[in-house]
Amino acid sequence: MDATPAVRLDGVSKQYGDSYAVHRLDLDIEAGHFFSLLGPSGCGKTTTLRMIGGFSDPTDGSVLLGGDDVTALPPNKRNVNTVFQSYALFDHLSIADNVGFGLKRKGVAKAEIRQRVGEMLDLIQLAGLAGRKPATLSGGQRQRVALARALVNRPAVLLLDEPLAALDLKLRRQMQVELKQIQREVGITFVFVTHDQDEALTMSDRIAVMNEGRIEQCGTPEDIYEHPASRFVASFMGTSNLMTGTYRAGAVALEKGPALPVGPRSEIADGTAVSVSVRPEKIWLSDFEPGMQMMSGVIRETVYSGPITTYLIDLAPGVTLSVLEQNTARARMEDRWSGGETVEFGWRPEHCLVLA
Amino acid sequence: MTLLRAPSPAVPERTAAKARPRRGRAGRRPRVLIAITALFFALLYLPIAVVGLFSFNSQKSLTVFDGFSLRWYRAFAHDDLLLSSLGTSLRISLVAMAGSVLLGVALALGLVRCRTRLGSLAGLIMLVPLITPEIVTGVASMLLFKGLGVPLSTGTVMLAEITFSISYVTVILRSRVAALNPEVEEAAMDLGATRWQAVRLVTLPALLPAVLASAVLIFALVFDDFVLAYFTTGVDPQPLSVRIYSAIRFGVQPTINAVGTLMLAGSIALIALALFIPRLFGRRGGLDLLSGK
Repeated sequence: MDATPAVRLDGVSKQYGDSYAVHRLDLDIEAGHFFSLLGPSGCGKTTTLRMIGGFSDPTDGSVLLGGDDVTALPPNKRNVNTVFQSYALFDHLSIADNVGFGLKRKGVAKAEIRQRVGEMLDLIQLAGLAGRKPATLSGGQRQRVALARALVNRPAVLLLDEPLAALDLKLRRQMQVELKQIQREVGITFVFVTHDQDEALTMSDRIAVMNEGRIEQCGTPEDIYEHPASRFVASFMGTSNLMTGTYRAGAVALEKGPALPVGPRSEIADGTAVSVSVRPEKIWLSDFEPGMQMMSGVIRETVYSGPITTYLIDLAPGVTLSVLEQNTARARMEDRWSGGETVEFGWRPEHCLVLA
Repeated sequence: MTLLRAPSPAVPERTAAKARPRRGRAGRRPRVLIAITALFFALLYLPIAVVGLFSFNSQKSLTVFDGFSLRWYRAFAHDDLLLSSLGTSLRISLVAMAGSVLLGVALALGLVRCRTRLGSLAGLIMLVPLITPEIVTGVASMLLFKGLGVPLSTGTVMLAEITFSISYVTVILRSRVAALNPEVEEAAMDLGATRWQAVRLVTLPALLPAVLASAVLIFALVFDDFVLAYFTTGVDPQPLSVRIYSAIRFGVQPTINAVGTLMLAGSIALIALALFIPRLFGRRGGLDLLSGK
């Protein structure tokens, strides 16, 4: 495996006045990975991407591409290409000329440009539209042209700034799969900025979750979803039952409600204020196993939504847990619980996370 | 009868009742307003129409239309003084157009991109020539040239016209520049273009309709300009407008009618072109003189 990361950020900061958009970021992105920068708006993910692309100068630290320091280089001297959120197609040029723009700048021979543009248009399945102007294309088609225009240059790294944000949900799902396929096919490192955690989970090899200019956690999608390192990550990634309380001797005394046994945690001092998180799908309503942490509560509401049913269960007054259950064949509708019933539920101890 | 009565009569009756007052209100156009509008256009265009009509007069009279002839157009075609003035005016207009468009586009780009307090101040100062009475700018330009010891000539007219046309170009282009997506220029740089190449290959083509429209407008404005040209021109050669003014002082020749009619036709054609250019590029915007936007 190539030891040199495709992208390395070394203590990179971006400061506007007194506030940091990005604060002392250290990050390695492995070559060939689909890497996502995930976070809410204003977390610094786009600023980070722009600093890798060369559109924004870091106030501190350095940006390395393939081991070379490019911090001082302008965008046209960096071996990266960008897919912009607005696609930023050149309206006065045809689709073929849009895609061939970068190659023409590099002085590639005309015949080779024509051939590579043709291949790229085949890859994105727009070969028939080579002569059209961008204004005549649909949103999804424009998005693919923007992708082709960047990929045709065979950059070391492709930067994507929320490229799917403007598409409707169905097209978006389809493009997620397509993007991932294209990335595997071309083998180029993708750095993908998104605020959509589903998108990041389904597409990425690794995800960095950002908040307020810092990386909260960096890891595989499973790592980040199953083992969130902080309360922010747990709440940002999917839905989570987050309860606050105080840790004392292997249990967390909830602010409102009972004490939850969480097992001894040597890393947490007694009396520390902590959050407890249990994912809704990790809570079982039947077929319990030995060793499970069992609780009981009152069903407040039942929300049926096709493949799953969501139960809102009051563990104690003011402490409501959300529980997901698959509507599989064995769980017949007439067996379901309804509001007001007291039910038993439980989770495996390892699914109950204690977050500082 | 039964067939006719079959559909519920209540429905058509109600729609008719609803529709009638609306149609009535739209149909009752106030005659007074139509008359006022007609009078306005008559007063506005009657003098011009008279000039046009008498340019085709077969006699020298400016009051009695004797019969149709192209006599005065022929006279104009053989008047070397007027022809040389026409050439001078065309040269001044072309140079002023090129100069002010070049500088005006650069200024518009600079004003939009430079978001400092100094930039917005420059934006305000740029508007001043638009509201300054032209006689003031004319006299001021003349005094400046005299003070600097620059002899008045066609060159000084060109300089003055360029200076005071920049504002028009900038006003027209500034909103277009502001509406550009900054990511498009970044995309060009991302694909290997330098900053200047990005402007040349991507930004300027996007601005082209507005640039062409403002160029045509400046050409027409400068060609028709009298006041500024009068104060900044030398004795010979003189721009057409100044030449006409001097000619009228020694009695009105019907040739002037012919020249005036030709200038009017040319100006109308240019303005029409300026309005038509954005449509040529299949986009809205550019120079929207009609809606005043």
